[in-house]
Amino acid sequence: MKRWNAARIAMAGASAGITAGIVNMLGILPLWLYAAVLVLSFPVFIIGLFLWWMAKEGKEDIPFIGY
Amino acid sequence: MIAQLILATLTGLLLLGIHRKVIARIQRRPGPPVWQEILHMLKFSFKSTWIPATASTVLFRGVVLVAIGIWTAAFFVMLTEGSLLVIFGIYMLHKIVEHGFGLSSGSPYGKFGGVRSVISAASEIPLFVSVAAIAIVTRSFDIRDIVAYQTVHGPLLFIAFPAAVAMYIVILSKMPFGPFSIVESKELVSGYKTEHFGIWRAGLEVCNGLKTTVLLATFLMVFVGQLPILWLAAGMLLLVVSLSFACALTPMLSPFDSVTVQTLVTGLMLCYGAVLFIGVRA
Repeated sequence: MKRWNAARIAMAGASAGITAGIVNMLGILPLWLYAAVLVLSFPVFIIGLFLWWMAKEGKEDIPFIGY
Repeated sequence: MIAQLILATLTGLLLLGIHRKVIARIQRRPGPPVWQEILHMLKFSFKSTWIPATASTVLFRGVVLVAIGIWTAAFFVMLTEGSLLVIFGIYMLHKIVEHGFGLSSGSPYGKFGGVRSVISAASEIPLFVSVAAIAIVTRSFDIRDIVAYQTVHGPLLFIAFPAAVAMYIVILSKMPFGPFSIVESKELVSGYKTEHFGIWRAGLEVCNGLKTTVLLATFLMVFVGQLPILWLAAGMLLLVVSLSFACALTPMLSPFDSVTVQTLVTGLMLCYGAVLFIGVRA
């Protein structure tokens, strides 16, 4: 997966969770719906984050392939 | 809430690291550093990731998301002092998730781990009886009401001690290297986790961290009551150290013996529940 795509997944997960939290604090979103959004967005954020920092970018090192 | 979830994950992983360290010291080994489980999660998240050719791609990935998702839900329920039944419904779901982990890879080690996870479902029955006993005493399944009951009558740890012991055994069955940890037994390599590698394994470690925090904190809330954050942390630490002693000093049981012991505990708990019920009705 490309680094930027992984970053977008992580940001989508984080922003969904944070937005739901803010909207819940304002009293617009009920608690159960906030919980549902969080349950869906937190795993997406975590996996997106891991994919992002694991994704390769640019030229890689040439591994040792023997003399 | 995302920050709290991350903090809870790191706390759970740190407690698992302490668990490993204490076991090692009891067995006169130096053991890994206490932050080893956090390093483990980070290490896996940086590793190359692939999916085995024999795996079901959707299940292989999806089960990791489900594993994190269900414990996020459990953490939320615990924090909002919701129903104890939901938390233990999630605990049951975790068994199905473990089974899914095992089956998704197509590896025989994973499959055996998954199958053992299902047969070790016997460990959930003491849990249900324990929850029923709490409900008989406090007349509620809500953590909020259970905590309120304890502020008036004192900790359930003293009032319903056998229920606390049963739930302690349930938590023990979820700790690594314990007498009931048959799903991760070394003859199965890493059991249901064997083929999950790279970020998928890191995701599983996140789930383990969250699960540990939720189970330990719920135990303390249900049997000791509402504690200030520092006391809660100290209580969790104490609980982990006691679990480590139990894990270090007892051999891992065979799958058959593990289920037998847990069924015996269930029988005893049923007797206790019946006595409680008759006592309340009389």
